[in-house]
Amino acid sequence: MSAGLQQFLARLYTDDALRARFLAQPYDEARAAGLDDETARALEKIDREGLLLAAESFARKRAAKR
Amino acid sequence: MRAGLGWRTELGASILAHLDEIDVVEVLAEEFLDANASELRALRFLSMQVPIVIHGTSLGLASTEGVDRRRLDAFARLLDALGRPIWSEHLAFVRAGDVEIGHLAAPPRNDETLDALAHNLDEVRRVIGSLPLVENVATLIDPPCSSYDEAEWLNAVLRATGANLLLDLHNLYANARNFGFDAERCVAAIPRERIGMIHMAGGRVLPGGRILDDHLHAVPEPLYELLGVVADEESIVIIERDGAYPPFGELLDEVRRARAACQPVCSNS
Repeated sequence: MSAGLQQFLARLYTDDALRARFLAQPYDEARAAGLDDETARALEKIDREGLLLAAESFARKRAAKR
Repeated sequence: MRAGLGWRTELGASILAHLDEIDVVEVLAEEFLDANASELRALRFLSMQVPIVIHGTSLGLASTEGVDRRRLDAFARLLDALGRPIWSEHLAFVRAGDVEIGHLAAPPRNDETLDALAHNLDEVRRVIGSLPLVENVATLIDPPCSSYDEAEWLNAVLRATGANLLLDLHNLYANARNFGFDAERCVAAIPRERIGMIHMAGGRVLPGGRILDDHLHAVPEPLYELLGVVADEESIVIIERDGAYPPFGELLDEVRRARAACQPVCSNS
């Protein structure tokens, strides 16, 4: 798996535009972020409903801290 | 068994008024990492009234980028000031690159994360002088790029790091409901002697059916059954409540029920 996986996930969880692009073309977006083929293939199978729920939950947490 | 509550400002007066029923209080580290002398004195005074344990949420032990040294030093200062009580932190990453996620993100459950976790905990032990209890986290997303299921992951962490577990039963219960595994079987797969503390909390069901671990609701009934499976007379159980506070008597009832859930196990051991 790619060393930059957590960085990419952190961006996916916090960046609405990136997340929308990723959900449209997960493999291409993961590769464009520098992740290797194996990681990008694994991310194609991401839990899409969970990604949206987690991103919403993290956004609420960040808003509460501001 | 010792049972108690998470210290929250809103609950402070009620906790202090009911110390005859509260064996232990859990204090959030982040509220005191920048504490001044008088705030630390107040915390030490609290620790003279009731045993305290310290709970962290910001170290990011599962980060593949390492643990922030300044934050770690602040934890060390706090724990030293309190006489090095039991402390805990989550099996999560909370930031990566220049991005703060805002909360605890479940890491990919794979060997890369395991290596990073072991490295980070070595660093923690060097700086602080002790290992935290490491807490399983709740997650709304099935952690991407994982090769371990929840039980395998927790056992692999315990083997690889030497740290003991803060078993959060609601996190486990929520994940079991969210991703379709058997919570009781998962709990049974964890070596009892490696469980150093237990958390109980409540959450809510989101549209679509997943459970959000929000600590704003009562402890659900199945958690007491799980507690009966896992607790013994040495257990420390903390009820976590972060808002939407009910009358304090309801929280005390949860503390009492946690003790009662342990009774059949304790009397047989």
